[in-house]
Amino acid sequence: MISVRGLTKDFGPVRAVDDLTFDVGAGSVTGFLGPNGAGKSTTMRMLLGLDRPTAGTATVGGRDYREHPAPLREVGALLDAGAVHPGRTGRTHLRIAARSNGIPIARVEEVVERVGLGAASRRRIAGYSLGMRQRLGIATALLGDPPVLVFDEPVNGLDLEGVRWIRSLFRECAEEGRTVFVSSHLMSEVQLVADRVVIIGRGRLVADAEVGEIVGSRGSRVLVRSPDVDRLAAALAGEAEVRRRGPGEVEVVGLPEARVGDAAHAAGVAVHHLATVEESLEAAYWSLTEDAVEFRGGHERAGEAS
Amino acid sequence: MTTGSTLARTVRAEWLRLWSVRSTWVLVTLLALFVAGLGAVAGWDAAGGGGFDAPSRTAWEDARFTMLFLLFGLVALACVATAADYGTGGIVPTLQWTPRRGVLLAARAVVVVGAAVLVAAVLLTVAAALVAVQVPGLAMPPGAGASTLGDAALVVGSGALLGVGLGFLTRSTAGSLVTAVGLLVVLPLVLGNLPYASLKAVAEHLPGAGAIFVVFGQGMSEDMTLASARVTLLAWGVGAVTLGGLRLLRSDAGR
Repeated sequence: MISVRGLTKDFGPVRAVDDLTFDVGAGSVTGFLGPNGAGKSTTMRMLLGLDRPTAGTATVGGRDYREHPAPLREVGALLDAGAVHPGRTGRTHLRIAARSNGIPIARVEEVVERVGLGAASRRRIAGYSLGMRQRLGIATALLGDPPVLVFDEPVNGLDLEGVRWIRSLFRECAEEGRTVFVSSHLMSEVQLVADRVVIIGRGRLVADAEVGEIVGSRGSRVLVRSPDVDRLAAALAGEAEVRRRGPGEVEVVGLPEARVGDAAHAAGVAVHHLATVEESLEAAYWSLTEDAVEFRGGHERAGEAS
Repeated sequence: MTTGSTLARTVRAEWLRLWSVRSTWVLVTLLALFVAGLGAVAGWDAAGGGGFDAPSRTAWEDARFTMLFLLFGLVALACVATAADYGTGGIVPTLQWTPRRGVLLAARAVVVVGAAVLVAAVLLTVAAALVAVQVPGLAMPPGAGASTLGDAALVVGSGALLGVGLGFLTRSTAGSLVTAVGLLVVLPLVLGNLPYASLKAVAEHLPGAGAIFVVFGQGMSEDMTLASARVTLLAWGVGAVTLGGLRLLRSDAGR
């Protein structure tokens, strides 16, 4: 289990992570979301002992990462797939990692097969595509068969088959009881794979909840097309919020579609279309982080951490 | 799990890390060819072909000068082996695998210094043998060999330590190489030839001056002794690795 308490990181005058507190539990996939510069990578780096926190703690299994005698057996992490020496073969890269943590070399073969690198693992990393480097990074994360997995943008560079594979890998790992903590900017991916999400903006916690709770946080919405939306709005007044979306089209917030249909029928209003709007994590995310974007097209706000 | 076992594991990983990149093999191969060539020329000269030097008592003495070239080459190896991790971004996984930074520093220093001393001992022995085979009667007595190899271990080991320290301190291959060349060659030559006693005194305390004294038994001034030259070399190696270690321990990885 990952536990973050009051975690804060300053880079000079810029506060990249600000008093962050959350837990990531075992047996589930937790998405870590936030705009660019929100502090996601910095938080993960502090969790893995790469950056020193200005204040607060980040622990794995109740201990600071640096205190684990063989950290790869406790936490498998992929932060930057490109951060490897291009002159080595993938297999040698894995053998160095295995040696450093006392992991049997036979395990290298197992993870190479599991991530589908196969014979390519004997080639120099310089010749790898970004997707192959991602697979190598994932193999390294799995090497110590750890109970906790941390991934920063793991689907970057993967093809469609790779994306499907990593999705099932996350689910498998969670079902095996592992803690899976994944940052991504691809909302649809996170919605498909995560049970829970932690959302941060400008280094601060914005939301920490089940995906269903986040998605449902904006209330149920029903889209209605009618030649007489004014009468429909009058019929629903006091019961729900009615927002105009265009000529002959309104959005009803706070009522289920059956109730909206009944109200239209009772008022004698013709309805040409009526459907519940499927909420997406992306829409909920934008709504939650609207004020927390560090960099926005056209004008730039303060902050540099990524 | 004790610090000792963590260190042993990390040393094994660092040994593989050092010898699993092409740059290490290219550098050692070029150095081997160069030193072997120098040994062959020194043997030819000692056999009377060149006629420059007085006859030596042992082949070790004629091969001794190759220590300086071994020093330059192996300091470069140490700089590259340490700083390349920052250039490629590989320091991030390295510190994920070995988050106890003091252990990583110690393991890298042990491996790089050990490898440098081993390579220097082998190549110096090859150079001495190439001298001996060309000069009838010129021997390679074990006592002289131990003394010469001991000096080589000090010179090259201190230099490798300097390279590791500069690598961690500058976090840049080019930066560490330029600094090493400055400390070993450029500054001792330039400062030592300026007409100012204070600058000459500074030059005497640079690692390049210490190495020259240990190799040739003579230095820039009468004040230098073998002991002071050895202390100078060791102090620069230990000092550099201490400063590099402080940066490694106190700074965020790769930032």
